[in-house]
Amino acid sequence: MLVYLGTDLLAAWGLNLEFGVAGVANFAYIVLVAAGAYFYAVFTLGPPAAMGGFQQYIIGARLPVAVAVALAALICGGLGCLIGVTGLKRLRADYQAMVMLVISILATTIIGADTGLFNGNAGLSLIPNPLASVNPAHRGWYYVAVVGAVCAAGYLVLRRFTTGPFGRVLRAVREDEDAAIAVGKNVVGLRLAVQAVGGVYAGLSGALLAGFIGGWSPSAWEYVETLALLTAIIVGGLGNDAGVLLGVVIVPVLILQGVQFLPQIKSAPQLAGDLGWIILGLLTIAFVFARPQGLIPERRPRLGVPGVPAEAGALAPAVGTGPAGPAPITAVQAGAPLTRAVPGDGGRAPILSVDGLVKRYGGVRAVDGASFTAVAGGITGLIGPNGAGKSTVLGLVSGFVRPDAGRITFDGRDVAALPAHRRARFGIIRTFQLPREFRALTTIENLLVAAPGQRGESAAGMAAGRWLWRRDEDELAEAARGLLRLFGMADTADKRAGRLSGGQKRMLEVMRALMAGPRLLLLDEPMAGLAPALAERLEAACRQLADAGMSILLVEHELGVVERLCETVVVMAQGKVISTGPMAELRTRKEVQDAYVVG
Amino acid sequence: MSSADAAEPVPALATHQLTAGYGDVPVVRGVDLTVGEGQLVAVVGPNGAGKSTLLKAILGLARVMGGRGLADGRDITGRPLDQLARLGIGYVPQVDVFDPLKVSENLNMGGYLLGKADRIARMEEVLAIFPALRSKLNRYVSTMSGGERKMTAIARALMLSPRVLVLDEPTAGLSAVLTESVLADQVRALADRGHAVLLVEQKAQAALRLAHTASVLVRGQVVMSAPAAEVLASREMAEVFLGGRGRRQK
Amino acid sequence: MSVFIEAVGFGIAAGAVIALGAVGFTVQFGISNVLNITYGALMTLAAYLGYALLSVGVAVWTALAVAAAGIALASAGLNRLLIAPLRRRGTGFVGVVIVTVAAGIIIQYCIVAIAGPDTVSYGQQAGSTVRAAGLVLTTSQLIIIGLTVAAMLALHLLLTRTQLGRAMRATSANPVVARSCGIRTERIIDVTWLISGALCGAAGVALAITTVTFDFTLGPIFLIYMIAAAVLGGIGQPYGAMLGGLVVGVGTQVAAAYTSPAYQDVYAFGLLILMLLIRPRGLLAAGTASARRLAG
Repeated sequence: MLVYLGTDLLAAWGLNLEFGVAGVANFAYIVLVAAGAYFYAVFTLGPPAAMGGFQQYIIGARLPVAVAVALAALICGGLGCLIGVTGLKRLRADYQAMVMLVISILATTIIGADTGLFNGNAGLSLIPNPLASVNPAHRGWYYVAVVGAVCAAGYLVLRRFTTGPFGRVLRAVREDEDAAIAVGKNVVGLRLAVQAVGGVYAGLSGALLAGFIGGWSPSAWEYVETLALLTAIIVGGLGNDAGVLLGVVIVPVLILQGVQFLPQIKSAPQLAGDLGWIILGLLTIAFVFARPQGLIPERRPRLGVPGVPAEAGALAPAVGTGPAGPAPITAVQAGAPLTRAVPGDGGRAPILSVDGLVKRYGGVRAVDGASFTAVAGGITGLIGPNGAGKSTVLGLVSGFVRPDAGRITFDGRDVAALPAHRRARFGIIRTFQLPREFRALTTIENLLVAAPGQRGESAAGMAAGRWLWRRDEDELAEAARGLLRLFGMADTADKRAGRLSGGQKRMLEVMRALMAGPRLLLLDEPMAGLAPALAERLEAACRQLADAGMSILLVEHELGVVERLCETVVVMAQGKVISTGPMAELRTRKEVQDAYVVG
Repeated sequence: MSSADAAEPVPALATHQLTAGYGDVPVVRGVDLTVGEGQLVAVVGPNGAGKSTLLKAILGLARVMGGRGLADGRDITGRPLDQLARLGIGYVPQVDVFDPLKVSENLNMGGYLLGKADRIARMEEVLAIFPALRSKLNRYVSTMSGGERKMTAIARALMLSPRVLVLDEPTAGLSAVLTESVLADQVRALADRGHAVLLVEQKAQAALRLAHTASVLVRGQVVMSAPAAEVLASREMAEVFLGGRGRRQK
Repeated sequence: MSVFIEAVGFGIAAGAVIALGAVGFTVQFGISNVLNITYGALMTLAAYLGYALLSVGVAVWTALAVAAAGIALASAGLNRLLIAPLRRRGTGFVGVVIVTVAAGIIIQYCIVAIAGPDTVSYGQQAGSTVRAAGLVLTTSQLIIIGLTVAAMLALHLLLTRTQLGRAMRATSANPVVARSCGIRTERIIDVTWLISGALCGAAGVALAITTVTFDFTLGPIFLIYMIAAAVLGGIGQPYGAMLGGLVVGVGTQVAAAYTSPAYQDVYAFGLLILMLLIRPRGLLAAGTASARRLAG
């Protein structure tokens, strides 16, 4: 039973990495465990004919046990990627789950039907025990020790993925894919990496299980087994490795194995097992209803400076007027994130030029041949009535919307063909009209995750561990705290972003964009719905950033703000640029008045 | 609130200090509105002022955090939409029709609460108001133009003979010519037939030319409430929409 | 050629059962927006309910009617007790799917606990066969095809000719406007689950009649066929699902006739995955409102 605990634990950890941490509802996970078992079996078994010929299977390489386990784990990693590819299609989440479920049932059917691969429904037997050389009397305990060691090692490796900057960025992707792309994260790459690692854990689990049991057949991995693992994770706590341990103890071990020890009814020996599954189903439903976060919920680190006085909060004087005003921005500037904001040439050349941009939705031309430029080191306004195509232009520039025609030149380079996350890495950072915070992360983590080029997110960072990225992380945290102070939100640093007020979320949206090291900041109606005090703070911050050399393209309805901030304002109506100039001048132009008041 | 409104004994629709929004963020704050029978009241204001949220708050679709909505003096705050239909409040949202249904079926659904005979009779009355729809009864709405769809939507809302009609930007996406005709021939005509009409409109001038009274909403608050002609003529109008000095107080 | 014709005959019979189930599934999804994995388990339940009724001497077609009624109630109960509360709480899509999978497993293992894990059979005589245009069909198969056609017709009339059916379509198309017409959409969704449950129950017994033997895994496997048919026809679209059922039925039978019956499931599943990846909106759908809901 301890062996089952260990192998279930490995599998549950892998699935937790995929589902709990990275948000991929992999209902086909058990297929990967099964693949691990099968490949371990066929790598260790001799050629079919030499094994008595009563079962048919591929390979039969009689490899050493350690090699077989490693190979099985690797193959499962690859299969995990393959299954992950299906999840990359932007289907609705429950559709993805359904695809996975279908894959799971399909796999059982194929393997069960075919006799040439893994001996069909009869399954494989006589799978060599990895500890064949150990005296059978003690083998059980040795096996427990081996599995325990693998689990311990697995846990240590897993920590590198689920904690630190890497775990943070995975959770960010889980919470909001688009927002993660907007700060330059390669969501596809991250998803595939997670699927691969999850696959390796599944493979290890399967290989160790098959070696212990000595046999493996389709009945051992029906799709319901994935639910057992999912239930373990949900009960224990989504995204929490320790919670998963508890969940595995409770669900597959205590419930599914434990029911075997209930008094047996002679006429129906399978009744106990059925009861186990029924309890499991009820438990799942109960937890989704009553405690969806699990027994031990996901924890987030505390990174805000303890004991920040509350007066630094919403009531602090507006930035720019108070004595603490201009100081923090230079402090932040000195840190990593904002240094890129200073333009190299310091001139007034356009940093962005958009030429003949067209975007059609169905028959409607949302953007219809728009051309304009945004100066380097200043704020360019983009205004126009509802439906003028402003937000679409922002989407086109940031890469979230594909243009039907037109050129987008950023800093002398044509970026129209680049995916959004690559553009973000060049420094085109957007905010969203409706704040898209990473809800389950703390406010400060929302900022940290946005920082570009973190070593802690790289493969090297993960391999080397904390010592490589710890200093970077401290510096980033300091910069993030500086930003929070600048926006008067220092006291919210360790609060989950989902709990912030609407106005604070808007501020966070802007701060996160700043952390991403923008060279051109695209702000999509940042003032909408902000209380006047916050709006003023944000306005002052924009001015300071522009003074410090940042280029900003500002979409805003509050035209007073636009007038105060922007030297040049671009007016759009019905997908076209109808006028360009300083706001005061635009106000007197007839075409602008018509566009606004007549509509 | 103007004295003309106060003269109405019990307004068909009113809000009293309504504060509402989504989650815990108020989008509209302390809004007072009154719509009497036969009156077209326009709510105008720049984008993002909270116009649509105000409607949704009245109709129980946004979270009301304070204040009340009243229909004929009866408290309707937070009532579900299907109950409001029974209380004589019709609603034409921006996404306003059943696309996969025929025009006749849209009207039929509009009269869902009526008995069969009443429904057929009422459909004849509504078709008399919108004769253009008669020849299109068997068309699926998804195949129709923007103006025809809006006509279908308003006709559908009329099926229950509501005392109050709430319209959310009925001219969104329509051309300038169509805008004029929808507002004049359909929306204003509703008020002329005795309905109390609350109209939220982005195209302020067009709406103000036809409305009886108007409220100007800025940043979730009513900054001006007066006869529409007065609002239209006021110097502040251009400022409200195009910004300018001193509007944002400390 | 005769192999082909024969396979087509079997395919039409199989397709009729698939269509019966798939239409219920797709209507349920289209109107209540829930991907209900429990549907498969309810189908198994229907098959066993039919089995229990047969073993006490009830006639097979009466058993089908009773099972359909029973599953209709179970389905409506499922919506009321589990799905509607989740919807009110705003639980995410995946959470709802997990709950429906769990509910399905509970039902499935309750069946095993009561009826045992062994395969069972209705033990119906195949009856006389009917030949027409080279097709060979048993009387039961003919009755099931007739039943499916009748059910489809009834559903068509319901959706297009009755206030209830129009209200169902209205709720699916635009719930807010539906409510503003005074339609109690929650109640409409209840009725939808009732109707789809009846189709599910009928399909379950029909499936048990056409397959020689079955066990408690009947439903979950067959669910994949129904999902394939529903997806093929554009999920949420009843007429698409009817056509999809026929395509899946005939397609898998013909393919199986030329290769190996063991691969029949594989073809269905392969087709489904292909469809989901290439044209998740279905073959017929050209960007209709219900299909658009799948995007993003």
